[in-house]
Formats: sequence, C-alpha cells, structure tokens
Amino acid sequence: MKKSVTSWIVRARYILPLLLILCMGTVYAQRSITQDEVNAVAERMYCPVCENIPLDDCGTVTCQAWKDEIHDQLAAGQSSDSIIADFVTRYGEQVVGIPQNPILRALSLVTPWILVGLALVIGVWTFRRWQMRSPEKDIPASVMASSDVYRSRIDQDVG
Amino acid sequence: MSAEIGLAAVGLAFLAALYAIFACVYGERTHRTRLVLSGRNAALLTFPLLLVAAGALWEALLNGDYQISYVWSVSNPQTPLFYRITALWGSQQGSLLFWALVMSGLSAVAIWLNWRSERRLMPYATAVMMATLAFFIGLVLFLENPFARYWVLPDMPAAQQVIQSVLIPANAITPDAGQLAATAKGLNPLLRHFGMIIHPPMLYLGFTGFVVPFAFALAALASGDLSPNWIKATRRWTLIAWLFLSLGLILGGRWAYDVLGWGGYWGWDPVENAAFLPWLVGTAFLHSVMIQQKRGMLKVWNMVLVLLTFSAVLFGTFATRSGVIESVHSFARSQIGFPMLTFWATLTLIGAGLLVWRWQRGELRDEHAFAGVLSRESLFVLNNVIFVALTLVIFWGSFGAPILSELVLGTEITLGKEYFMQVTPPLFLAMYLLMGIGPLSAWSATTVARLGNALFVPALLTALTVFAIAFTSPSTPVSLIGYGAAFLAGYVALWETYRGATARRAIRRESWSQSIMALFRRSPQRYGGYLVHLGITIIGIGVIGSTIFQLETRQTLRQGETVQVSADYHVRFDSMERGLAADGRQIDTATLSLLQNDTLVATINPRIDNFPGQAMTIAGAYSTLEKDVYVLLTGADETGQIATFKIYINPLVNLVWWGGMILILGTLLAAWPHEIVAERVRQSTSSAAKAAA
Repeated sequence: MKKSVTSWIVRARYILPLLLILCMGTVYAQRSITQDEVNAVAERMYCPVCENIPLDDCGTVTCQAWKDEIHDQLAAGQSSDSIIADFVTRYGEQVVGIPQNPILRALSLVTPWILVGLALVIGVWTFRRWQMRSPEKDIPASVMASSDVYRSRIDQDVG
Repeated sequence: MSAEIGLAAVGLAFLAALYAIFACVYGERTHRTRLVLSGRNAALLTFPLLLVAAGALWEALLNGDYQISYVWSVSNPQTPLFYRITALWGSQQGSLLFWALVMSGLSAVAIWLNWRSERRLMPYATAVMMATLAFFIGLVLFLENPFARYWVLPDMPAAQQVIQSVLIPANAITPDAGQLAATAKGLNPLLRHFGMIIHPPMLYLGFTGFVVPFAFALAALASGDLSPNWIKATRRWTLIAWLFLSLGLILGGRWAYDVLGWGGYWGWDPVENAAFLPWLVGTAFLHSVMIQQKRGMLKVWNMVLVLLTFSAVLFGTFATRSGVIESVHSFARSQIGFPMLTFWATLTLIGAGLLVWRWQRGELRDEHAFAGVLSRESLFVLNNVIFVALTLVIFWGSFGAPILSELVLGTEITLGKEYFMQVTPPLFLAMYLLMGIGPLSAWSATTVARLGNALFVPALLTALTVFAIAFTSPSTPVSLIGYGAAFLAGYVALWETYRGATARRAIRRESWSQSIMALFRRSPQRYGGYLVHLGITIIGIGVIGSTIFQLETRQTLRQGETVQVSADYHVRFDSMERGLAADGRQIDTATLSLLQNDTLVATINPRIDNFPGQAMTIAGAYSTLEKDVYVLLTGADETGQIATFKIYINPLVNLVWWGGMILILGTLLAAWPHEIVAERVRQSTSSAAKAAA
C-alpha cells in the first residue's frame, strides 16, 4: 500500500506539471488578444506588398491577413520574437526593419559606425593637416581674450 | 493645339540650352565676347520657352484636353480647378517639365544677377547650368513627354488600335472626346491636398536651387579662378536653395501628418531621406563656408561639399524617379533610370576630376594654419563631421545596404525606422551640443576656461529647465539628455542675441525692439543663424516629445462606447455619417467626443475617403500647443454602428511646425540681400535728390 502511494506520488510529480501546462495552454489559447498587442508586433514588420510601409499602418488585404495571423499566433502563446522569426523564415528578410540574419544584421548595423569612424578620421586628418602646415602666411595664432573677441563682435554689431 | 505649342516650346528650349553650352564655352575659350553674350541670351531664353510649354500643359489641363495622355491620367471632368492647376506636377512627365521650368527660372535669375559681378566665372557657370537643364529637357522631350496624345489606328487589330504618340501617326484618327473624358483617371487621391500646391514647388526650388552653387564651383574649377569670388557668389544662393528645401521638407512632413494616416510626420522612408540628404550636406557647407570666408581655410572641403550637395540632389532624383527604391532591378525597367544614373555619375566624376586636378596643382591651399583644437574652426570641422556622418548613415540605411544586399547577396532587405532610431540619435545629440558650443567659441583659438565662462548662463538655464521638466512632466533619462542638448542650443542662441542687444542699448540708448532689429540689420547672417538655431531647437523638442512619449491605441467601438486613451482623456464614438462627394468619392465621417474628466473638450471627425480602387484615411485632431489628440478611422461595418479607430496622443508635435516657421524666418533674414536693397534705396534717393535739384 505504502509502495502504491509512493508510486502515485512519483507519477504525480510528472503528471501535475503536465496538467498545469495543459491548463495554462488552454488559458493562453483562450486569452483575448488586444489590437494593441497585434500592433506592437506589426509595427516591427513591413508590408509585403507596399514598399517601406510598416505593417501596422498598411490597410491592404494582405497586411490585414498578416495581422490576423499575428493575432492567432499571439493567441496560441507565441512570443513576438518567434512570430517575427517565423514570418522572416517564410517571406524573407525584407519583412522586418532590421534583418534577422546575423551576417546581414551585422552588415546593416556595424557599417554605419564604420562610416561615422571614417568621417571622424577625415576630421582628425584635417586637424593634422592644419597643424603640419607652415604658418608663413598665417596671422599669429594667439589665444584671444574672450572679452576681446566679444568686444570686436559687439563693435561690429553696434557699427 | 496645346500639345503642338508645348512640344515646339520644349524643343526650342532644348536647342537653346545646347547652343548656350557651346557658345559660352567656345566663346570664352576663344575670347569671342559676342558669342558668349549670345550664349547667355540663349540661356535666358530657355525660361520663357519652358514657361510657354508649361502654360500649354496648364491650358490643356484646365480645358480638359483628354487626348493628351498626361491630362487623361491626372485629371477628369470632376477634378476641381485647384487640382487641375496642381496636376502639372501630379505625375512623372508633368513634374519633370515643372522641374525644368523651375531650374531654368533660377538659372536665369542667377545669370542676370551675377553676369557683371562674376564676369570671369559666368560663361562656365552658365554652361554647367544649361548642361543640367538640357539633360532634364531631354528627358521631357525624348522619354517622358507630357504632350504625347492618344490616337486611334482604325486599320490595326482591335487590341492595338489605341496608341500614345507625340507625333501624329500615319492614318491615325482622333479618339472620341466623350469616351476619353468618361474614362479619365483623375489625380492620385494622395495628391488632393492643400499642401500639394506648395510642397512640390518648394522642394523643386530647393533641389534645383543647388544647381547654382554647383555651377559656380565647377566654373571656378574649370576656369582656375579659385579666388573667394565663387564663394561670395554662391553662399546666398545656397542659403536660398536651403530655405526652399527646408520649407519643402517641413510641408512634406505636414502633408504626411494630415494625409498619409499613420500618426507621424517622418517615417524614414527612402523618398523622404532622398530629400533630407542634400539638406544635410548643404547645411554642412553653409557652416564650413564661413571658415573659408573668414580664414581662407577648407577650400577643398567646401568644393567637396558643394559638389556632393548637388550630387545628392541628382542621386535623390534618380532614386525616387527610377524605381530603384522598390528594387535595384526596377530602375532598368524605368525609361529614365539609366540616363539619370549615367548623368549623375558623369557630373559627379567631372566635378571630382576637376577638384583633384586643381588640388594636385596646389591651387587650393589653405591660407591660414591651424591654431588650436578648441577654436571655432575646429568645432565647425567637427560639425561637418557630424553632418557628413549623418548623411552617410542615412544614405546607407536608405539606399546603400538594401542595394548592396540585393546586388551582392541576392537578399532583399528593408532598413526601417528601427535602424534609423538606433544610429541617428547619438549623431543628432552631438549636432545639438555643437550648436550650443560652436557659437560661443572664438576664431583662431579659445580656452576651456573661457568657453566655460561663456557657456555658464546658457548651461545654468538648461540645467534648470531640464530639472523642471524632470519634476513636472513624464520623462526618461534619454529624453532628458535630448531636451538638455536641444535647450542648450536654444539658450545659447537667445543669450547671444540678448548680449548683443544689451551692448547696443548701453551704447546707443535704444529700446529693446530697436536694438534687436538693428542687430539683425547689421549682422543678418549671424542673428538670422541664431534664429535658425532657435527654430531647430524647437523642432528638436517637438521631435523628442512626439517620438518618445507618443501614446497609441487601436480600438473597435460601438456607437456610444467610450475608451480611455490617456490618464486625462476618454474618447466616445458618437455617430457615423456616409455621403457621396461631387467628385465621386464615398466619404465615411465618424464623430467622436473627446472628454476630459467627463467634460466635453472637443468633437473630432476622422474620415475615410473611398476613391475607386483607393481609400484615404484623413485624420481628425484636437490640437493644442501641448499635444494633439489625433484620431484615424481605419474601418467600419456596413451599418456604421461599429468602427475601428487608431487614436494617438502626440505630445509637443505642434512645436515641429512652429520651429519650422522660425527656421524659415531666420533663413529669410540671413539670406535677405540687405546690402543690395540698401544700395538700391541709396541710389534711388540720390537720383531723386539730383532730379529735385
């Protein structure tokens, strides 16, 4: 008897979580999804028909069908990331604002900072070039007192 | 008859432009003054000729000459007079003609105003302007002709009987006018908006205006006259083009906000970005050109910026008109894709080639050496780095990455708002900080202590404002940093103006209004510039508020149902009206009550205009300086009892428009030719005095 009770307890350790998961699944499946939740996913995606129009702003039939599908997937308990990944797998990288593929993502997001670095290098190079130039024609580089600078500007303004 | 007149005028304008190029270059090279003058006159003639062509198309639009295929595609008998006029730029062919007209007008004014003062540069500058104009007229004449007409060929099989042709085909008869009118398409519904009267002309004036500085720069490189003359001649033109481009961008934003129905004004769409890129490079030039004017430095860099600005204009035009945005392959299917790409590449390469040639000959050496890291020059260079970096990252997101990915990897990608919201904010933050610090620094060199001294009051005011916002309004660390940078730039502009006015008052005993007006009169560039900075500050505050704190909800409501949209506001769906407009569209108008603590604040009427094959959502809004409650009707059931709405609270969005107006006012003051007007007044006064004597 004792062994039988223990065996039931052991079985219950496996069955109860399973029942709990099933119950939660039912709750999730029945949970009503608001339009704002659908939009929160849709605004990270792009219309497959119109170029560069976010899905949440697009009123085409295709976009409405996609939004309905997002609704269903949310209702089935999918996370927004997994829904987006699913759409990317089926329709390609152009359905999202930043590619999911690691190489394309890196290409998209790292390159701008390389470009910013390049612009900074040009700026630094300009400074260096100025520093290296012979100042033969230059006005002596003196640090003007701020009051002098200000006075000269006021003189000009006052005329 | 309109078609024949228009076609002849465009053809003659094309010939005149070609002749002007030849006469100006050959005449100048061989020192034949009369030939150069005839070239100038031919260049001036292009404007009236293109005006006649545009007039002919307007006449056809106003009189409903639907045999002209352009008129058939952009109007119909129900189109109101107002939209018949704006239909001139309502589609590709007409807008290219309008583009050429605007460019010829600006070129004519530039030639007329600068011919005497810049005699050495003008033949080459005229040739460059006319080469660009000839290219666009060529597109109008040979590829996108707005005067092509429908013809019926009775001898052909039924499917091939109706054709479009510029010239009259053999055995062709005129189609039935009544049938043409009955089937005419009408203007694209998106363009039926008040903003479309003024938005495209402003944008075109901005785009084409940059041809003048570009032409002067190329003329200076070609002629070898690299004295400050070209800078003197072009700075004001750049400012004018920049003014119109700014106006075009602001109006475009307003049009998007009113008509496109997505609750915002800037979507980082490639078409918007294509117009923003020349604005960014042009802004960099307007700053760096001051270093060349004051210190004779950055000569090569200024050339690069001028060339790059117009190159960006041409690239943007190519990108938006060729279809390359949809797909890299679609531009090849467009009639004007290859010609535009070729022209853009050719002109850019010619400019770059000439620049490298002059640079290697040592003709673009800076006149002054570098003084200190902390100087106005160095801060301006840093400012240029930021603008160029912004240009590069926006170009990369809009065109570079999508095109490269499709060409090299065969994968279509979209870099959307998420990309731009990740990469641009740090650069905009740096831009605002430099707007705050730059005007306080001195030419040649300054020190940290002195700069800190000058910054003390604006920084203190900024800190107090940011604290006040943090304790009185919803805020995040990011928004507070953004507000801080923007307010610093604004306070510096106000503080500098205040200091100038105070000094004048102390010396001249003037009133505040007199001293401020005198400041703007005596130093329009500086104080106009401060006003522009103030406008950009206000825009920045509006952008931060409306981007970070925008609230959005989508709700399906039954009539009489209420929904809470923020802590303060509820919206109640009251009724739905359905009607048919004179132009055939079915209009669904919803009436909603905006309630604040159960008190009616406003009635909002969003609507859907159902045109055949296209629906437009027109927002209804309750607008205050503090926020907009912006409502879109996105759908309704057949009875109108149940409807779906998108409701936005857009905080501070109206500051974007107010800041835009201040920016325009500041630019007008900076660009206004005070000295020319004063000289004319002086001359007329002295002539009148002589006559009286």
